[in-house]
Order: sequence, then structure tokens, then C-alpha cells
Amino acid sequence: MSTTSVPRFVRADGPDKVTGSGRYTADLTLTGTLVAKFKYAEVSHARIARLDVSAARAIPGVFAVLTQDDVPDVRFGPFVQDRTLFARDVVRFEGEIVAAVAAIDVPTAQRALNAIVVEYAPLPVVNDIEAALAADAPLVHEGWSQYGAADVLVRERNDASFASIAKGDVERGMAEADTVVHSRYVADGCHAAPIEPRAVVAQWEGNKVTIWTTTQVPFDARAGVCETLEMPASRVRIIVPHLGGGFGGKCGFHYEAHVAALAKATKRPVRLVFSRREEFIAPDRRREGIVFDFETGVKADGTIVARKVWLAIDNGAYTADAGFFSQLAAMHALGPYQVPNALAEAHLVYTNHQPSGSVRAPTAPQTCWALESHTDEVAKAIGMDPVAFRIKNAVATGKEGPSGQVYDEIGLVDCIEAATARAGYGDDLPDDEAIGVAIGWWPSFSAASGAYVKIDGDGSGQIITGAQECGTGAVMTLRQLVADELGMQPEDFELVYQDTSAAPYDMGATGSQTLFNNGRAAIAAAGQIAEQLKQLAADMLEASPADIVLADGAASVAGTPSRSVPITELAGIAAGGELLIGHGSGVPPAAQEVSGATCIGDVGMTAWVAPQFSCHAVRVKLDRDTGVARVLHVSTAHDSGTIINRIGATGQVEGGVMMGIGQALTEGTRYNDEGQQRNAALLEYKLQTCADAPPIDIHFVEINTPNAGPRGAKGLAEAPNVATAAAIANAIAKIAGTPIRQLPMTAERVWETMNTEGSPA
Amino acid sequence: MSDIVNYHLTVNGMDYPVNAAQGRNLLSVIRAEVGLTGTKEGCDDCECGACMVLLDGQPVNSCSFLAVQAQGRAITTVEGLQQGDEMHPLQRNILEEGGVQCGFCTPGMLLSATALLERNPSPTEEDVRIGLSGNLCRCTGYAKIVAAVQRTAAELHP
Repeated sequence: MSTTSVPRFVRADGPDKVTGSGRYTADLTLTGTLVAKFKYAEVSHARIARLDVSAARAIPGVFAVLTQDDVPDVRFGPFVQDRTLFARDVVRFEGEIVAAVAAIDVPTAQRALNAIVVEYAPLPVVNDIEAALAADAPLVHEGWSQYGAADVLVRERNDASFASIAKGDVERGMAEADTVVHSRYVADGCHAAPIEPRAVVAQWEGNKVTIWTTTQVPFDARAGVCETLEMPASRVRIIVPHLGGGFGGKCGFHYEAHVAALAKATKRPVRLVFSRREEFIAPDRRREGIVFDFETGVKADGTIVARKVWLAIDNGAYTADAGFFSQLAAMHALGPYQVPNALAEAHLVYTNHQPSGSVRAPTAPQTCWALESHTDEVAKAIGMDPVAFRIKNAVATGKEGPSGQVYDEIGLVDCIEAATARAGYGDDLPDDEAIGVAIGWWPSFSAASGAYVKIDGDGSGQIITGAQECGTGAVMTLRQLVADELGMQPEDFELVYQDTSAAPYDMGATGSQTLFNNGRAAIAAAGQIAEQLKQLAADMLEASPADIVLADGAASVAGTPSRSVPITELAGIAAGGELLIGHGSGVPPAAQEVSGATCIGDVGMTAWVAPQFSCHAVRVKLDRDTGVARVLHVSTAHDSGTIINRIGATGQVEGGVMMGIGQALTEGTRYNDEGQQRNAALLEYKLQTCADAPPIDIHFVEINTPNAGPRGAKGLAEAPNVATAAAIANAIAKIAGTPIRQLPMTAERVWETMNTEGSPA
Repeated sequence: MSDIVNYHLTVNGMDYPVNAAQGRNLLSVIRAEVGLTGTKEGCDDCECGACMVLLDGQPVNSCSFLAVQAQGRAITTVEGLQQGDEMHPLQRNILEEGGVQCGFCTPGMLLSATALLERNPSPTEEDVRIGLSGNLCRCTGYAKIVAAVQRTAAELHP
């Protein structure tokens, strides 16, 4: 053991979480709390012929039953304002809320739900993504053209957001190719599936409401309440107790307004806690199913000359935050490759399914799976090793990507070389094993963010931040950044976070952005205190502030360590005069200008700030008799910039890879003919267990990234989820002799593919 | 409410009088009546293990166990792992190894691991993986949790 090793990272919230003393939202009880329950549509598409809640309201112990008639008549949605809090006239998916009940206890609330009379006149169910695009397809939203929407969106009937990226001349490129490979792939939707089901508690005092909720994005949740209940932000306070995981599933604005409305109507605190089934069917945040059509033209020497992609994304019944998915998926479908002639066309399609929304790297894992499966087909068609093919065509420093962005320092090729070498790629393997390789990419999201830092008279500090911790440790790492700025220890600081009335804005635990943006803010806030401490020390030590160094808990004159004063002493002095308070935000890094591509439906997703890259090389064993694939080893290499918190970072890779294995092999939503989920339970859905988990080798390619986050950090939480399923697919395809064209690649699908005559669909 | 019954539960060595409907599961009684919320509800269907407690040392999903049937048995929840100010080695090691992220599966995971080490003081990695396979974790990929259990076993039985 090295005696100079860096102290181990122990989370500030760790003791709460291992002792059971930490409170999550469902653990909170306020005096007089009522139980909330929702009445769901249960049918996928119907007109409400009759809705009568009078019998439910008459049940003793029922304090309120609300419908759309009882709340402001507001349509909301971040990209398309296509939704109301409760169904109005028409229900469009099974998990749509028709009414909400607040009652004295669970059995009474359940009786009230049963007493609500609702009669439906069925409408045709839009259950297929491609069929929904037909000119005569039934409309999910009859009034789509009247909805408010972001100006940049290109919409037409069931197509809620069309985007294209065009570069060069794709037809001429195809004509110049020696070989053209065409592939079709279909990815099923799947779920974030955090272990904590969501919960909301709301309480009014006067005209102000406090809402404790399981959101990843407290300020976004606040904005949703303000919009739908028509209140100013100053009267809505969102507090997030410990959050039991999110993975994007708890992004956005969900049920905070429903519960607040119930609490207002009943003049009592109200608590909603979801069952696991509700967690599966109701939120507008599940990973979107996508249909893909790829065509790549390649020279005999392995140079890609043209790529054409068509894809259609299942938007579900409402647009939620998926408005940018079409352009994002188009980027992932063209991939981190040098493609001189490119055309990607992407549709975001309304169906009568649960709405899609940002789940850990939205659109990326399934699009990477399809593109990278296709890429192995292309390499095979020209008889080239798929790794050599990738290295030849991958984007690299100074090279131009498919949207015209010329990349500054990036480490994708380093990732490919490291992951494959560490996996033993090329070594002999048993005939039922293979190593599959895939590459992926993901943006860092630059955004406004704020934090305060203060140091009290006893020398202990607080970081008061708008950032949200969903488990990744990103907020926990702020202590390290602030402590380093001030020459103190992380343990000297407590975190005050997840409270919109205490802290300045942050976008939340979304887009892997917490450390990237809030780290910048916290460092800026600490920097103000550093200046104050240096001035105080300079006055005391009769030196210039510029010569004061903060280290090891003391302020010292540079080069004269004996002239020193403890920071705690300076804090004591400040406590009687000008207080030690810093505030920070900083300027978010700007994206490069991009030229050379023409984009329709441009939502700003073609130029990426500090893009992240990855390569996964996965060894898989396939039982040819049953189609059961088992992942034996995963080798990962990531360029996510500088790694600031190594334990946290490796934890993100391990968790992201495991989620990727689940998406590859078992996790997929199955619909019946009526558009209802058939496997809305954990056993039927099947997450990976501890016994399924393979060894995961982790390598970080840390290069000096220009225009990145603090200390050269990029994002990290989503990137490890991008390439795993694709690498598994390529391993299975090698052993099976043919790719599996539907995700998840369940044993049944693998077996069927291997036992189907001729070329699979 | 004719089905309300009075009985006693022994949780973490302490006796609690309970006055609750006969059909209540152990999870809801521990959380709402005993007042200990460290035990979590993730699925209410024996699928996730977040609600795991020990009954006379045996791991049980408390969501699917009637509270009245736990009378006369020693119930251990996550709150009972720590003795005084000192964390149980499993609690300390899961933190130091980085096996806690969101923390929602952690209580069940810790109790599952406690039971495992009780019946098998020197488990192999595979023993640990199988022993914990009834506890779902979505954050960590399990590697650091397994490392924490193995480290604890090595510390307790060098």
C-alpha cells in the first residue's frame, strides 16, 4: 500500500444511507397527511363519453376527487404543448390520469377510485411506429396543428418532430462506393427502472406550497407547477429528500402539480407513493423504441464514402422532452465517423404508448446498437476486421464529423486501441465465444448553474447548491473541488442542496451536467471566499494578498511557511465583520460553430461541447442450442476528460455497463394489440442481478480537453450506457453467424434468428 | 375495522406494541407503526429485495410477510446493524468501496449480506454474487458491493 495514496472518497450522504436514518420522500409524514391515488385510463385511445366522480366524492374519508375541471385549463410540454394535467375529452395511453383522489387511508382511496364512473368510446389504437406515419393513419392528436410548440420543430400529423442532417451528396457518394450495405434494425422501448418508485408530498401554508418530491430536476419541476397551477416561482418550493435513483426516469415535471392541487383542495398535506406497476406505465420518461434503416457505401479499402439513415422514434402519446430526440438520434445514427456524404432523416412519431423521455443517454444505446451492428456488417462485406475498419473511419482530433464539426483534442481512437487490447481482442477463443466491439459518443451539456459557499465562525463550511444528487456522487464531489480551492478538507463542508428556495438555479441531475456546470459554479463561489481569506491573512501577516497561499487549513505567506494563520482563526475574525460568503455561476462553455451540413428541425444538437467517446469490447458466450447469451467480460475505455472522483467515475461505468447488458439481453417493453404493456413488473421485465454481472475492466483516456468543464472534466454518467448493448450484439452476431435485428436480443430472438431459413428480415 | 389486532413485535432488540389490521404486511408495520423507515419498498411483490429484514437471522422480504406472523421472533432492520456509534464493518466497507450510490437498495443489501456472512463466513465471490442476487441494484453494477462483502469477510475471518 502506498502511504501517499489519495484519501478514499466517502460520500457525504453515505452515513445516512447505510444506517437507514436518511429520509427519502416516501419516508416523510406530516400531521394529517392524506393518501393520493390516481384513476388511470387503462385503455390506450378513447373518447371520454362520461366521467362522474360524485359517488366517489360522497364516500366518508374521501377529502377530494379532482379532474381537469378542477385545475387551470393549461396545455403544457417543453417542446409541444400537447398535454393537460388530467385527460380532457380524450385519453391517449393507458397510464393517462383521468382523476385524482385524496383520502384518509389507502383502502378508502381505493374505494373512491372504484366509485369513479368513466365510460369510453373507443378510438383506433396507434400501436405501430411506421404505420403511424402513413398519410391516412389515425391521428393521436386531432388538434395537433393548433398546439403551441417550439418554433424550430417540424411537425406534420403524427410526426411530432422531424429532423434531418445532410452533408455532401449522398447519392453520388453511394454511386462511388465499391460496396453498399443495407440493414434494418428495430429496438423495443425500455425503462429507467430506478429501485425507488416515485413519491410526492405537498403541503400548503397560506398561498405558498412546499413540495417534497423524487425529481432529478427540482427547478424544472417547479416550473411545471408554476405553469400548470398558474403560480409565480416565489410561491412554490421544491425540496428533494434523498433520491433513490433516477436514470432520467425522474427527469421532467411529473405529479407535483396533481398532489399540490389535492393538498390545496383538502387543506391537508397529501402524499402520493407509486406502486411498481405505476412506475412502469404512467411516467412520461421511458426509453423510446426506434425503427432503423441504414445504408452505407464503402470503398474496397474500407473508406466510408456515404451513409444514409432513416429512423422513426416512438414518441408515445405526448411529447414530454423528446422534441430533441430526432436530431439527437440522427447524430447517433451517423455516428462518430468521418462520413463525407451523409443523409439522416429522423421522425418522432406519436403513438398510443406511454410517452418517451430522457432515460440515460436518450436515443443513444439503441441507435448505437443498430449502427454498430450495421458497421460490423459493412466490415464483413468487404472482408475487413471490424476494429481496423473503425479505426480507419472514426472521428479524430482535427477531423470532421458527420455534422461538419471539426473536433479539437479527442481520444476516440485511443479508446478503441485501449479497450480492444485490454480485452485480448484477436486472441483465440472457444468456438462458442467471441469478442464484440462498439464505439459510442455523447455530448457534454453546457448550461447555466449556481452555487453559494459560506464559512461560519467556527471554520466549518457549507456548499449551498442548486444541483441535484441522484446517486452518481456528482454533488458529493463538489466538496472536493471547493476544499481544494480553499486549502481545506472535503469533510470541512456540509452540503445544502435539492431545495429550490435555498439555492440558485441548476438544471438538475440530467444530461451528465452536474459536475460540468455546477463544479464551475462551486469553484467560482469558493474563489470569492479565497480572495476574502487572502485579504484577511494579508492584513494579519503584513503581506500582499497575492502572496498568500491557502493550503492544509492555513493561510501562509508564500515561501515563508512560518508566517501562517489557521483558516479557522480567519473565519472567527470574519464572523464579527464581513462574513465569508461566496457566490458563483461562471460562463458556460460555448459550442463550436459548425458548417458544412444542412439541418432541418435544428434544435442545436449537431455541435457538441466537449464530446465524450467510448469503446466497449465485450466477450460473450452463446449457447447455440437455446440462444442464451452470457456476458463473460466487459472491457471499457472512455474519453470523458479529466477524472476528478475516481470511485464515483468507475461506479458510473460499472452501473452504465450493467444497464447496457440488461438492455441488450432482457429489458424491453412488450405491447399487446391494444397498446398496453404486457410486462409492467420487475420479474417480467427482468433487470440484471448480482449473479449476472461480469467483471468490468475500466480505462479512462484522460487527454487535455479544450473548452471543457472544471479541470478538464467532461460529463460521464450517461456515456457508459451507450456502447455496451452494441458490443454484445456484435459478439453474438459473430457466434450466431448473423446479426440479431431486434433489441433486446432475448434468447428466443437469438434462437429464432439462428433457426430461420435464409436471410433474416 | 373489526380486523384490528393487538400484538407485540421485537425489532432490533426492542419491544413494540402494535395495533394494526390483521392483513398488514411486515414492511408497512415496521415503517408506519414501529416508525423505522430505513426498510424500503421497491415493488411490494418480492422482486427487488429493498424491503429485506432478518427474522431470527434469516433474510425475508418484509413486503410479502404478514406482520402478525413475526410475533415472538427477532426482527433486525438496517437500523439495528450499527452498535452504538460504531458502524457495522459492512456499513463502513460498502461506503469505503463505493458500493453506495442512490442508497435505496442499500438497507436490503446490507441485511442480505449480513445473513450471508452469518451462514458462510468465508464466501467465494460466486457465493457472494448468488447470495445477493435477490437484491436488485440499478446504480452500481454490483462490483463495489461484492468487494465490500468480501473485504468484510476477510476482516472478520482473516
